[in-house]
Amino acid sequence: MADDNVDVVIVGSGFAGALIANELAKLGKRVVILEAGDGIPIDINKYMERFYKAAAKVPESPYTPTLFDEDTGLFSPEVNDPSKMPAGRPTVLTITEDWANPQKSYLVQDKKKDDGQPATPFGSTYDRVAGGTSHWLGTCLRFVPADFEMRKRYPNCPKGFVDWPINYNDLERHYRKAEEELGVSADIGEQNYLGITFPAGHRYPMPRIPESLTDRAVRNALKNLNPAETAFLGMSRPPTEIPVRGVPAARNSQPYKNRRACAGNTNCIPICPIQAKYDPTITLNEALNHKSVTMMKKTVAKEIVLDGDLRRVTQINYIDYGTGAAQKEGRIKAKIFVIAANAIETPRLLLMSQNAGRKPEGVANSSGMVGRHLMDHPYYVAWGLLPKESKALYPYRGPLITSGIEDLCDGPFRNERGAFRVDIGNEGWNFVVAGGAAGGDPDVTTIDFVNGVNRSGANPDGNTGVGMFGKNLVDKLNETITRQFRVGFLVEQTPDPDNRVTLSDFKDGLGLPRPKIAYSLSPYTKRGIVAAKQLQDLLFGKMGAKDRTTVQPIDPTLFEEEINGQRVQLNYGGAGHIMGTYRMGRNPKESVVDSFQRSHDHDNLYLVGSGTFPTGATANPTLTLAALALRTAEQIAKRV
Amino acid sequence: MSESTRRERAKEAQTAPEDDHVSGRLTRRTVLAGVAVTTAAVTVGVDTPTVAQSAISDMEAFTQLSAALTGLPAGKLAPTTDSIGIKQQYFNWLNEKEPAAFASLLNIAKRRIAENKDTAPQAMIDELRTSDSTNFLARSIVLMWYLGSWYSPANLKRLVDERSSRVPVFVPHTVISPKAYTQGWVWRIAQAHPMGYSDMQFGYWAREPAPIEDFISRTAAKGT
Repeated sequence: MADDNVDVVIVGSGFAGALIANELAKLGKRVVILEAGDGIPIDINKYMERFYKAAAKVPESPYTPTLFDEDTGLFSPEVNDPSKMPAGRPTVLTITEDWANPQKSYLVQDKKKDDGQPATPFGSTYDRVAGGTSHWLGTCLRFVPADFEMRKRYPNCPKGFVDWPINYNDLERHYRKAEEELGVSADIGEQNYLGITFPAGHRYPMPRIPESLTDRAVRNALKNLNPAETAFLGMSRPPTEIPVRGVPAARNSQPYKNRRACAGNTNCIPICPIQAKYDPTITLNEALNHKSVTMMKKTVAKEIVLDGDLRRVTQINYIDYGTGAAQKEGRIKAKIFVIAANAIETPRLLLMSQNAGRKPEGVANSSGMVGRHLMDHPYYVAWGLLPKESKALYPYRGPLITSGIEDLCDGPFRNERGAFRVDIGNEGWNFVVAGGAAGGDPDVTTIDFVNGVNRSGANPDGNTGVGMFGKNLVDKLNETITRQFRVGFLVEQTPDPDNRVTLSDFKDGLGLPRPKIAYSLSPYTKRGIVAAKQLQDLLFGKMGAKDRTTVQPIDPTLFEEEINGQRVQLNYGGAGHIMGTYRMGRNPKESVVDSFQRSHDHDNLYLVGSGTFPTGATANPTLTLAALALRTAEQIAKRV
Repeated sequence: MSESTRRERAKEAQTAPEDDHVSGRLTRRTVLAGVAVTTAAVTVGVDTPTVAQSAISDMEAFTQLSAALTGLPAGKLAPTTDSIGIKQQYFNWLNEKEPAAFASLLNIAKRRIAENKDTAPQAMIDELRTSDSTNFLARSIVLMWYLGSWYSPANLKRLVDERSSRVPVFVPHTVISPKAYTQGWVWRIAQAHPMGYSDMQFGYWAREPAPIEDFISRTAAKGT
């Protein structure tokens, strides 16, 4: 690579990397992208075939490197040996009771934290392929203004919470720019809650996505509430109605930028078969259509190299494992470097960059904050079943999620417990059944009625081993499956310095240390899940739904809390929202980057993505990280 | 069943005249032949004689058996003009995985159809339930049509045997092919579509779906 005249090197081609590359491309800047995984496929047919054939249709299932034995479609520990894969990645299929086994899991999950407390599983995953984690849902919520000011507004919240160095108004213009780029469908009229504002006359790029029948049932159930029923929420006034709002989504409600309108394939995660949902390969392709932009695929950055006085980055050393039969080491120089490798791979690269002992703590880490404050939105999911007398909901139709509950994500309770937002699923019980022990639906429920068992909880009277055949079976399945629903609660997580990404002693296929994770939920966050469970009980009661949520005794995320004098078993999953490990802030002693995501330590190094979030709020992070990336691109463009 | 028999079955199936199951109903010719044969079988007290197999093909028996087990019309499972041809994949798969039990099921189907085509569906079910080997393979066959996946009879038996387990037992399955997934009938029974495979139009999810009959018995099986 003739690298003498490169303006910007970007590590990673996901949301943040692709957006920045494209903004710079439009200005004719010379950009090289290093992508650890495969390039953009010519078409997505291979992704779709792999998904259809996969026994476990998990978020990572369509993408490469494949998780599966190509013949059987079964998860293959051999294919996935994390010590052999050049660019491995986590998968939910290894988050089992054996979650801390580094022979199976790419992420080396510790069972103990630095403070001596037990660690529990980190449940989120990502992809390492061109376009990054395309298995996102498409949710494009803005943060509410209070999300940027947790310390100022809620002085009693746990000490990890800080104010952002920017506020909602600083980011508003870039939110709009990101919504334009990703193509967001929503109606302004229902998005102005909790202080979210728009300029007069502004419209989203497309009208909202229509709501589903399940959305409507949830809305009706929460229309007339007694203040005594909602007092537990700790809002300034107990609500007598909890609104259900359309979720803004990067999902076309009409043709947009040469892509079709959504046809309701009910498959946003892991993959939209018609690309009606935005994914970063769209922007990446646009960037690569410029002559001044190139991407090196199967190229893993291994070290960020600093100059003699350790102030500026001079080059990135990489391993190219794709071009020839043997691995090839290389280096690339540029004026500015952007690390856009997500909130686990970015701190990993910074920590690996010890510059032959000149930087034992790694690059950009004079604060010691790199890798700390790992956050997710711990995801509490509840499964409901309406009785056959109720009107059916007809799930497994439409986008996976079309509406949610947003109005409960801010209030005085944030002094005491984690906030949450709620998403309403349109995919019945597809997202695992029975606490994950049995797999997902429609398989588990179907087997229950065919085989006379009751793993789903939907066949309590038929757990006799006899099973059903014929017309009766058809009727029973129709009656049951069309009345399934689920709701999920995304809970704000305490930024905890001991929730960490560090380097493990276990290596990947290139001989590089794999990320080690130590993670747990704080009491504040668990109290957020308790409130979520109380809202679930209220909702299910109003809907007349049976609760089919199960927490298995072997679930490593299980914990017990007391609700109204009763011991209740709860659990959490990963939302895929990996945040916080190189937080932004004003004080270089307490943060890694400034509000433009520039390293406090190194003038020409930018670290982008949701790793810079100092607090995680409750909204899905993609739109905010996209807005921040566009803001960063503007600053970089002025400098090269 | 030997390798050679298996190949012959497959060959026979491929050449089976489609006209034998127009609209999912047996033709007069096959029914008459079947009745005559059954009488003979009962008389001598042995399993279905070979002459019956020439009267009603294995594929036809498989189709009728599948219809009885799944509660779905034979003409929908295996249409006369079958551009998708999933029945052949399943037939070959069963011959490969469970040849003996599959042969028993086909014999039961043929015998019962020959006895009385109206009572055959229930008679088949009553008889196959009398033995674990046929009972559990029948369940595997239903799951195959519904889900496009193979859940082996042994694993289904295990689920039954351990149905009181404190933690639900996990059993593995194989998606038979990408096509099998996209042809799964459970999605239609749910008045929906396979996740990731739909030809419905923007906004359909805001309305109630068409009646279930439109999904499983009338022509517009994938309709909105």
